[in-house]
Amino acid sequence: MIVPTPFRLSLFALLCALFSVSAAAADTPRQIVAKAILTENSAARREVIGTLVGQGDESVAALFTAWREDALFIHSSADGAKTPVQLTGEKDSAGRQNALRVDDGQLLNGPDGKPLRLSASELTVVQHDRMLRLSMKAVIDLLDLAASSPAKRIQAVQTLGFAQDAEKLPALINRLSLEQDAKVKIALREAIALIQLKSADDAVKLAALKELKDLHTLASTDFIKAAQKEAEAAKKPELAEAARIALGAVENHRTAVNFFGTLFRGLSAGSILLVVALGLAITFGLMRVINMAHGEMIAIGAYTTYIVQNVFGSGLALSPFGLSFTIPGMNTTGLAYESYFLFALPLSFLTAAAVGIALERTVIQFLYRRPLESLLATWGVSLVLQQLLKLIFGSNNVQVSSPSYLSGNWTVFDVVFGWNRVFVIGFAVVIVFGIWMILTKTPLGLLMRAVMQNRGMASCMGVRTERVNMMTFGLGSGLAGLAGAFVSQLGNVGPFLGQNYIVDCFMTVVVGGVGNIAGTVISALGIGMADQSLQQILGNPVLGKICVLIAIILFLQWRPAGLFVTRSRSLDE
Amino acid sequence: MTSPLSAPITSSKRLKIEIGVVAVIAIFLIVIFPLLNAWGMVSNFHVSLWGKYLCYALLAISVDLLWGYTGLLSLGQALFFSLGGYMMGMHLMLMIGELGKYAEAGKNPNGLPDFMIFLGYTTLPDFWKPFFSFGFSMAMVVLIPGLVAYVFGFLAFRSRIKGVYFSILTQALTYCASLMFFQNNLLMGGNNGFTDFKRILGHTFADPATYRWLYIATAITLVLVYVGCRVLSRTKFGMVQQAIRDGENRVLFSGYAAAHFKLFVFVLAALIASVAGALFVPQAGIINPEEMKPEKSLEAVVWVAVGGRATLAGPIIGAISINALKSWATRAFPDSWLLILGGLFIIVVLFLPGGIVSIPGKISAFYKARFSKKS
Repeated sequence: MIVPTPFRLSLFALLCALFSVSAAAADTPRQIVAKAILTENSAARREVIGTLVGQGDESVAALFTAWREDALFIHSSADGAKTPVQLTGEKDSAGRQNALRVDDGQLLNGPDGKPLRLSASELTVVQHDRMLRLSMKAVIDLLDLAASSPAKRIQAVQTLGFAQDAEKLPALINRLSLEQDAKVKIALREAIALIQLKSADDAVKLAALKELKDLHTLASTDFIKAAQKEAEAAKKPELAEAARIALGAVENHRTAVNFFGTLFRGLSAGSILLVVALGLAITFGLMRVINMAHGEMIAIGAYTTYIVQNVFGSGLALSPFGLSFTIPGMNTTGLAYESYFLFALPLSFLTAAAVGIALERTVIQFLYRRPLESLLATWGVSLVLQQLLKLIFGSNNVQVSSPSYLSGNWTVFDVVFGWNRVFVIGFAVVIVFGIWMILTKTPLGLLMRAVMQNRGMASCMGVRTERVNMMTFGLGSGLAGLAGAFVSQLGNVGPFLGQNYIVDCFMTVVVGGVGNIAGTVISALGIGMADQSLQQILGNPVLGKICVLIAIILFLQWRPAGLFVTRSRSLDE
Repeated sequence: MTSPLSAPITSSKRLKIEIGVVAVIAIFLIVIFPLLNAWGMVSNFHVSLWGKYLCYALLAISVDLLWGYTGLLSLGQALFFSLGGYMMGMHLMLMIGELGKYAEAGKNPNGLPDFMIFLGYTTLPDFWKPFFSFGFSMAMVVLIPGLVAYVFGFLAFRSRIKGVYFSILTQALTYCASLMFFQNNLLMGGNNGFTDFKRILGHTFADPATYRWLYIATAITLVLVYVGCRVLSRTKFGMVQQAIRDGENRVLFSGYAAAHFKLFVFVLAALIASVAGALFVPQAGIINPEEMKPEKSLEAVVWVAVGGRATLAGPIIGAISINALKSWATRAFPDSWLLILGGLFIIVVLFLPGGIVSIPGKISAFYKARFSKKS
């Protein structure tokens, strides 16, 4: 296809004009507007305004609006110098107002150095015609290209690029020469290449495809595919080949992004599982108590976070058992409000630990020799707790809002890292380290391990086993509560929250091998990874979960006691 | 691990008394209760309610066979119960035929269950076709759960998974299956399951007599299962079974292949649960994946624990009394039903490990102790 020469020429001329203007970009947008106002010839005036495309700021929009509303004037001083002004402020009795200079936004001073007070009737209104208004509109449309925040600029650039409107091309090229931010530059190059894909010139198209191959952005896939189809239809093997290569580059990039994304999600899913299962690794793994109420400990932690949040906010009205009372709120805002989570963490630990200790004293201490019965009794406890939570907080889910430092994203090479998930990973590391320290480096940890290994012997050596049992169970429950505080950041909180985690928790501990924190860590991460990658491969979360469960059942065929076996000479262990 | 909870009956006199009591109860359940209904002295509602209670009793016996007699706490009996129910449900769905909503509107020429039409299917999937036959469906009620139990049990017992691990694994299996059945593309009705049945073996569900016959079938099954399990528990097999519960390693060292015994009991229990499910579905009129949730299995374990494990009367008493309590409490105290159930469970586990059936023995022991002190 041959492009009509006049069009090419005019494009060339336009580009030259643009570059010449941008070379003299010392003028601020305001100065350019002032220059345009003083330009008499309407065509020349449009040209001056055209130079604003892609580099205007917010003041330009305001000026143009004023211009269209006949609120810009030309002030001629006594010596004949013409200054474009805008009238603002209160009118006095004579209808006079302050005058702002268009070129710098400052007050216009008279010869005596004092601000001049002018009325509209003394001044010449700056004229405008339809063509001029159109070129002003073009500038305003592209104003976001010069927005102060890079994210806003990227968005504007992408909108233009995806529209593939050839008219916007010069503006983008102009902006690219001005742009400082690396990310915006990439977005600009992408948008330019996308628009050039629509070009009539094969050479331009080819160059655009090469550019897209170098950029390999995910968003360009559909456009490249369209270009490929078009090239194949038009029997242009060279173009089709270039499109195929570009597409290949994008697909490679996508595979890499998916891979790292899955890796990250697997790691974070594993960390969540780990945080949730660690408490169980202590109560079930060390104490051999099958605490079916573990899930409710998680829910208690989550609800504690909810209460703390409301205390920092506007308070909370509860009406359990027909009573009704209100927890007063502190009505904090901003950073003080967002710090609620830091208070919620220890409080949810303490609340769940207290409930756990109460549970241990009233029910579990009688069942240490009957593990299967402990399963049944704690299931009863779990039913009671669920119902209590439902009666106190209502059966609907409640919303726990994430503090801003947990709700952002962090995108590196198109892989999105949610702050809350990054935080969970970091937190899991801290907790595991903390547990390891407690179990191996403190006197309490020593006693715990002694009692768990041989309750009778420890008792004979003078260890107060009852107390140690209580503390251990409290620790395990408290960890569940802590997990609840995190879980509340990831989704809604409801009375049956714990039920979502209980099966996974037990699976994690069983696979890891009871009585072993390291096993729990490895199995949690492994299950999290397997779950996320299977979801990715199968494209169906439920199917992925089913496969993981089946894999676990088969894994236990191979290692019935889990990853790490605690060796014992006892026959019935 | 646990002390023997049931002493084998030694005296033939006690056996005769037992046979007499069972016969009287059986005659009442199978003959008199339905007759009272036919004469209008028992409402239709109660017949269908008791039909369901007896299905639960069957499920409880299957739990007890594993937990009470073999020491295997299976949390997967709800899975087999539902599988049996689903097999029956498939047949009942196909029996709806021209009475379905889409068929009445003339939009269902191939006789598909309504939910499939809703999903956009026009022809019946191949694996559904044989379920037009009642006999085939009944065979599947036995085969499918039996096969699942066999494969899972084979794997689990071969690698000597026992105790808590067995419980957790069966729970995971059930959870896994419920996730699967919630999926629409399994073509088993998704989360709505099967419902709106119209007729069974040519009898419409609008007729109370249909429920009466279903009730009678359930009662006969229950009596047969009770007698069968009672006989089994007195055979050498039953003795080995209980020995596995009390000391599996000693059984192994005595030269018995404990895994085979456990596998047999596991499959047998699965079949009982499955038949119970197949009888339950036409009487309840619905089956959906909710029935497979882990807590359903635990609920069945509660019945056994409350009634009295390692006895056969215990599970029946437990299932019927707890479900009667549930029917009453969910109406009288809808908010606190779970509190009652949970509390009851904690109390029974802590203070009454023998369940309801152990109460008379405890009372008589209490009086004997007082009497002997006085003399």
